[in-house]
Amino acid sequence: MDTRITVRICTGTACYVMGGANLLTLEDYIPEQLHEIVSIEGSPCLEYCKSKEKGAPPFAIVNGVIIDSATVGLVLDEIKKQAHID
Amino acid sequence: MTEDYFLEVDYYQGFKHNQMVGGDVFLSHKIKEENRIISVLSDGLGSGIKASVLATLTSTMASTFVSNYIGVKETAEIIMRTLPVCRQRKISYSTFSIVDIDSEGNTRIIEYDNPGFILIRNGMPVKIEKSPVKIDRKQYRDTILKYASFKAQKGDRIILCSDGVSQSGMGTPSYPLGWGEKEVEKYVLNIISENSGISARDLAKRIVNKAMQNDSYKCKDDTTCGVIFYRKPRRLLVVTGPPIDKERDSVLANMVESFEGNKIICGGTTANIVSRELKRSVTVNIRDLHPDIPPTSDMKGIDLVTEGIITLGKVAELLENSLVTDTKISTGADKIVNMMLNNDIIHFVVGTKINEVHQDPNMPVELEIRRNVVKKIMKLLEDKHLKETKLQFI
Repeated sequence: MDTRITVRICTGTACYVMGGANLLTLEDYIPEQLHEIVSIEGSPCLEYCKSKEKGAPPFAIVNGVIIDSATVGLVLDEIKKQAHID
Repeated sequence: MTEDYFLEVDYYQGFKHNQMVGGDVFLSHKIKEENRIISVLSDGLGSGIKASVLATLTSTMASTFVSNYIGVKETAEIIMRTLPVCRQRKISYSTFSIVDIDSEGNTRIIEYDNPGFILIRNGMPVKIEKSPVKIDRKQYRDTILKYASFKAQKGDRIILCSDGVSQSGMGTPSYPLGWGEKEVEKYVLNIISENSGISARDLAKRIVNKAMQNDSYKCKDDTTCGVIFYRKPRRLLVVTGPPIDKERDSVLANMVESFEGNKIICGGTTANIVSRELKRSVTVNIRDLHPDIPPTSDMKGIDLVTEGIITLGKVAELLENSLVTDTKISTGADKIVNMMLNNDIIHFVVGTKINEVHQDPNMPVELEIRRNVVKKIMKLLEDKHLKETKLQFI
C-alpha cells in the first residue's frame, strides 16, 4: 500500500450545520492498518454547496472523489475502496 | 471621537462572599454626539439586593443628570432625597464617584465617600486638587462632596475603586487595617511599570484579584474597580462574506493586507478568497472540536480565521449575555469576542454576496442574514461595550 489518501472535510457553514461537525471525528474511525497512508485535513469551504449539481452538503473529498451528503460511514467506504480493502 | 485618541473604559468586580448580587455598580454611558463618556461607581449601603437597588438607582440617576449638565450639587441632592431609607439603620446611603470625560481629555470628577480616584500619568501618580461642595441635609450630618476638574493627557489612567478594594484584608496579619489607598496606588504603579500598555479591563481585573486574594478569596465586601484609559486606539478589522462581484476580491484582499491592527476573517469562502489573492495557505485546526462552533483556521498575517454565520451568531450572543467582561477562550467565537473587547475601533467589511444554500428552508433558522448579525454585533459593541464601530460593504 504505497498510495497516499488525503481526505479533505469542509468546515464551511452549510456543511457544518448539515452534519459536517461529525465528520471531523473521522480520524477516530480510521482502521489501524490505514493510519500510515490516510491524512485528514479541513477546508474553510470546499465551495461545492454553491453548485446544485455537486449534490447536498456536507461535503468531503477523498483523493479528488467528491462525496456529498457525507457521513463518516460513506467517507470510510470510499477510503477503503481506494485502499483496496473490504 | 477624534481619530487619534480613545477612551477605554472597563471594570471588574467580585461580590461579597456568598452573595449572588452585588451592592457595587459600575455604569458607563457614552454620548456619541458629544464624544463624552460618563462613568459612575456606586456602592450601596450593606450588601446583596438592598445594596444593589441603592447603587443601581444612584448610578443611573447620576449618569443621567450629569449627561444632561445638571449641576453636581443638585444631582447629589436629588439622589439623596430619592433613595429609600433602610428600615433598620434609618438612613439612605450610597456612595458614588462620577467621571465625566470627553475625547479632548476635559475631565470632571465628583466623589462622595468612595476611596479617592487615582490618576496615573507617565507611570507616576498625580494629585489633583479637589474642592469641597457642601450639601445640606435636614436630619443628617452635612454631606461633603469632592469636586475635581482637570485636562487628561494622552496615556492617562483614572482608577476608581470601591472601599471593598481599599479595605480588603482588614484584620489579617499582613493588613491589620486593610490594604489601604496608598498600597493600592503602589500596586497599580507596579503593574503599570511592568506592562505599560495593560488594557483597562486587565488592570481592573488584577486590582480586584489582588484585593480578593487579601481576603483569601472570601471577600468581606463587594469589591469593584473601574479603569478609564485615555490612549491611542487599537484597531481591529473584521472581514466577513464574499464581495458582490469577483472583481472586488483583490480589493478585499488589499484591505486585509494593508490594515494596521488586528485582523479577523469570518467565513470559509472569504478565507479562500484572501488565501487565493494573497497566495497564502489556510490550515483548518481540525482538532479544535466543539459541538456548536466550527473550528478556526490559521493563515499567515491574519490573527484569526473562523467560519462565518454560526460563529458570528455566537459572538452576538456572547456580547449580549456576558455580565462581567471575563470570557474563557476556547471556540472561535470566544476568541473573536476577546479580540473585540481588547480593541477600541472595530472596522467591519461585509461582503454582500448571498450564499443561496443558506436560504434553503432545510437549514437551521439560526443562519441569519450576514448583514443583520453584523448590525446586531455593532450595536452591542457600541452600547454595551463603548466601542467605536465602522461598517463598509463590498
